[in-house]
Amino acid sequence: MIAQIIFQLFIIIALAPLLSGIMKKVKAFFQIRKGPGVLQPYYDILKLLQKDSVVSTNVSWIFHAAPVVSFVAVLAAGLLIPIYTTQLYLGFAGDLIAVIYLFALARFFTALASLDAGSSFGGMGGSREMFIASLVEPALMLSIFAVALNVGSTNLGFISQTVSGLGFDAMSPYQILAFVALFIIAIAETGRIPVDNPATHLELTMIHEAMILEYSGKQLAIVELGAMIKQLLIFSLLANIFFPWGIATGGAGAAEYVLALLIFLIKIVIIGITMAVVETSTAKWRLFRLPELMSISLMLSFLAIVAVIIVKGG
Amino acid sequence: MAEVVFGSKIMQLLIAFILVSTFMILGSTRLYSCVRAFGIQSFLLACVAGIVAYSTGKYDIYIVALLTLIIKSAVIPYIFIYIIREIKVKKEIELYVNISPSLIIGGTLVVISYYLIRSISIISELSSLALSASMSLVSIGLFIMISRKKALMQMLGILIMENGLFLGAISLTNGMPLLVELGIFFDVLIGVLIMGILIFRINKTFESIDTDLLKNLIG
Repeated sequence: MIAQIIFQLFIIIALAPLLSGIMKKVKAFFQIRKGPGVLQPYYDILKLLQKDSVVSTNVSWIFHAAPVVSFVAVLAAGLLIPIYTTQLYLGFAGDLIAVIYLFALARFFTALASLDAGSSFGGMGGSREMFIASLVEPALMLSIFAVALNVGSTNLGFISQTVSGLGFDAMSPYQILAFVALFIIAIAETGRIPVDNPATHLELTMIHEAMILEYSGKQLAIVELGAMIKQLLIFSLLANIFFPWGIATGGAGAAEYVLALLIFLIKIVIIGITMAVVETSTAKWRLFRLPELMSISLMLSFLAIVAVIIVKGG
Repeated sequence: MAEVVFGSKIMQLLIAFILVSTFMILGSTRLYSCVRAFGIQSFLLACVAGIVAYSTGKYDIYIVALLTLIIKSAVIPYIFIYIIREIKVKKEIELYVNISPSLIIGGTLVVISYYLIRSISIISELSSLALSASMSLVSIGLFIMISRKKALMQMLGILIMENGLFLGAISLTNGMPLLVELGIFFDVLIGVLIMGILIFRINKTFESIDTDLLKNLIG
């Protein structure tokens, strides 16, 4: 059991930079560039881990604690989300609400740390991040609730298992509405282009990069890895709640686990490529137009819940 | 509507997408994307009519579906784009109610129509879904007519209401008699043409199609 938990952690940490690298490569392909290799994020993180951190003399303990807290919070969320198996050994500890609040905890500490150093860029990034978070969180919750209401449980492993058991019958209007809503949220949560540009550094439009501007060396490596892991987790939420087919259920043998792992890899790569296509085909939105995007997502998940109630006759 | 067993899943999906396209109209600030979303909505409506025709086996509904496809998803959007190009109107739509509040109001309207339809006892869940979707389309179309300043958007609002009525009619009655449908299509087409001419006249008199200006007296 402990070996299983550690293996899931290992898979999450090992795959997250690969996904990031693949998405960068796809974006480079659409921009007719060659782009860095798929393995480049691993090299970046290894390089950063070997360097010393430069820290401002004005910061408090929060600045040092924040990367670790955010990283651990995101990893803990990873243990509550089905990745390649619906058998979550720590599933008793929390459900999708815990996952959402673990993400919120990570974000809260990153935003605090961005204010801590007292630079104007950090404060700007922190306030923007919290502005977007206040719009994203209700939509995220509602869209997963639509599926949870349908299945009758908020445990993510159970949701995934039930939906995968339904087969094609799972493709219902509310499922699709909730999927579109969650996809819009995934764009915002992973800081992709209509909301934030992950490729910018030192630009006035940046959000996530502005928050972590003060970090360097090992701390930056942890922050970057945490962001990549969060991206992987949100993609696996998309994959395993709405298209969980091929996921291993409890009591599967080793061969099934390997197959499920392969299928999971294919699924997140497809989602990543879709995300990269969306990113290259849209322009970044003005910050004050983002509430419109988020209210579209909120409305879609709301409609999904209404549709569940209608069809189920609640 | 027990006959439409085939494609009841597809019907549910189509109806959900029709609602989504309505929210696309409600949520966009560009005239072109509103017209495009209206075209998509009419195309989905034609698909609904096609499925009803296939499952009931009535040939006149095929004609209705074809007419929807041609008139509502091709000719009317073309007329819109022609008007937008001819009078060189600004591409942004102006609103009395902002985008986010109008989306929330739209959602509330959907809930209200679902709630109202639930109080009527209908045999199958599919037609109750279709009927509540049709009622939300009517009310959202009305809301678009009230809350948008451009005369073009008012024209679009009334067409959304018409689409809603069409959805309700086709999913409840398995299609009205062909003569009635033909009459309605003719009315819609002529209505759009007349409204187009009216918009040209408004533009000529006020040098804008902002209906706010219609309150001003012109000697």
